[in-house]
Amino acid sequence: MMALYFGFILLVAFDKALLGRLVAPGLSLGILLGVLVILAAWVLVGIYVVWANRSYDRRIAALRRGQ
Amino acid sequence: MTSSLGEPNAAAIAGFFLFIALSLAITWWAARRTRSTEHFYAAGRSISGLQNGLALAGDYMSAASFLGIAGLVALSGFDGLIYSIGFLVGWPVVLFLIAEPLRNLGKYTFADVVAYRLRQRPVRMAAAAGSLAVVAFYLIAQMVGAGNLIRLLFGLPYEYAVVIVGMVMLAYVIFGGMIATTWVQIVKAVLLMSGAALLALMVLAEFGFSPLALFAAAAERYGPGVLAPGRLVTDPLDALSLGVALMFGTAGLPHILMRFYTVPDAATARVSVNYATGFIGAFYLLTFVLGFGAMVIVGQDPIRAVDAGGNMAAPLLAEAVGGRAFLGFIAAVAFATILAVVAGLTLAGAATLSHDLWVNVVRGGYASDHEQFRIARLSTLVLGAASIALGIAFKGQNVAYMVGLAFAIAASANFPALVLSMFWRRFTTRAAQLSMLTGTIGSVGLIVLSPTVWVDILGNDAAVFPLRNPGIVTIPLAFLVALVTAWVAPERESEWRYDEVARRLHLGEAPEAAADSGGAV
Repeated sequence: MMALYFGFILLVAFDKALLGRLVAPGLSLGILLGVLVILAAWVLVGIYVVWANRSYDRRIAALRRGQ
Repeated sequence: MTSSLGEPNAAAIAGFFLFIALSLAITWWAARRTRSTEHFYAAGRSISGLQNGLALAGDYMSAASFLGIAGLVALSGFDGLIYSIGFLVGWPVVLFLIAEPLRNLGKYTFADVVAYRLRQRPVRMAAAAGSLAVVAFYLIAQMVGAGNLIRLLFGLPYEYAVVIVGMVMLAYVIFGGMIATTWVQIVKAVLLMSGAALLALMVLAEFGFSPLALFAAAAERYGPGVLAPGRLVTDPLDALSLGVALMFGTAGLPHILMRFYTVPDAATARVSVNYATGFIGAFYLLTFVLGFGAMVIVGQDPIRAVDAGGNMAAPLLAEAVGGRAFLGFIAAVAFATILAVVAGLTLAGAATLSHDLWVNVVRGGYASDHEQFRIARLSTLVLGAASIALGIAFKGQNVAYMVGLAFAIAASANFPALVLSMFWRRFTTRAAQLSMLTGTIGSVGLIVLSPTVWVDILGNDAAVFPLRNPGIVTIPLAFLVALVTAWVAPERESEWRYDEVARRLHLGEAPEAAADSGGAV
């Protein structure tokens, strides 16, 4: 996630022309990437929560019983 | 186009009173359930994942998001979106590093976690300094936003507006505590999401429901530059510094961290972050449409004419697409937004004052529940009065910028100490204290020396410190100070007690017992 975001910020900081290029009429690469970063953040959080609440918590519970 | 902003708006007034009546009803209901300190700060730890997710979103989407970002996008295009994206990406950090350990280790404030295995007094005093600085900057931004909004809509003087917001907020925090604050946040989040969605739909309807057509129209009118990074972040280092501060700031905001104590366990805390990220992400996607919509439909010059900072772009857009009644609705939503965020901030500040400073520093960790409860309400009153005074003193400041600074202070003062206390065995009391003080004093100091304050406000010729946001300097500095201090002077007891911290961090135990044993050093 950090890599995604800092990649994006570095592009903003150092390569403005690239982000200004249009991939479709009205849609610049910068806006497309921005939307994708937001979606990626949400998807990553979702994956983590599902993983944690399924397998991680089960293993924690097992550990606790074993104490 | 002409605007009715500045004249009394019947729909807006009705909306304000409706929301105030609703939140007072919630307060009355909540007051009967608020019987102890635990209820007052943590809503009896009975909030569900979805509810807390909505409340987190409510706490997070402040006036700066709705009014400020829409305005920034309307006036500078793509650059405004950097804020939208930056505000969101902090959430995965909160989830992966902070949410669960915080829930497992603490009681009411993030200082509970930092001070867990360290000496209480010095750590809590430093943590309180950082928290109060963040709360103060954040509060100023909200109060200034509220004052401007009400002045523009009702034609009411700015000072009256600030006092009214302060009084209403005080009523429901003092009597309803965290239960009322949480429910007010939930109502507000739903209102804000639906208001923004409706507004965005009405904008898109004019462009055949195609965001691309909207962006194209914006590019046609103001040049292709609005779709690319531009003048708001001319300096690469400044862009990077803002990015760092926004990303790590979320994980250091006291009123956000405090929300993780209102849920029953770590799993619920996790789920609530997932909901919150979904709501906030959707909302920030809407700001793309709102900002560009205001740019095309209202036009940049009329927006600037009403407020130079662009803060009124969203209300103006509402009037342009939906008439005065819709303007009234959107204005009432913006007002509700501000009121709810101010309440959350005040509660977090009150927790710092009474739980950290009074109970753990003055009384050495021993105070009856009755006494804690009384001090908590008293602290709320003090903070409410302070926020009214600050709101009036800082009249005319830029809302989004102030919030950006609050993030920078949070990321520098609170975040390094919080992370190190949870994940670094050799962390020490002195290191925590110096790191938090360095972060607080360093970031506030550099803000004063930055171009915005030193040149624009104080009228000096050249800035002593070149960046507008201090994050990129002060965050690593706070980490460095902690590492060096702990390396020079190790603390045995803290190292020994780390195993206990690590166990509780991952396995989780009753938080009530946790804070009690942590408090008795």
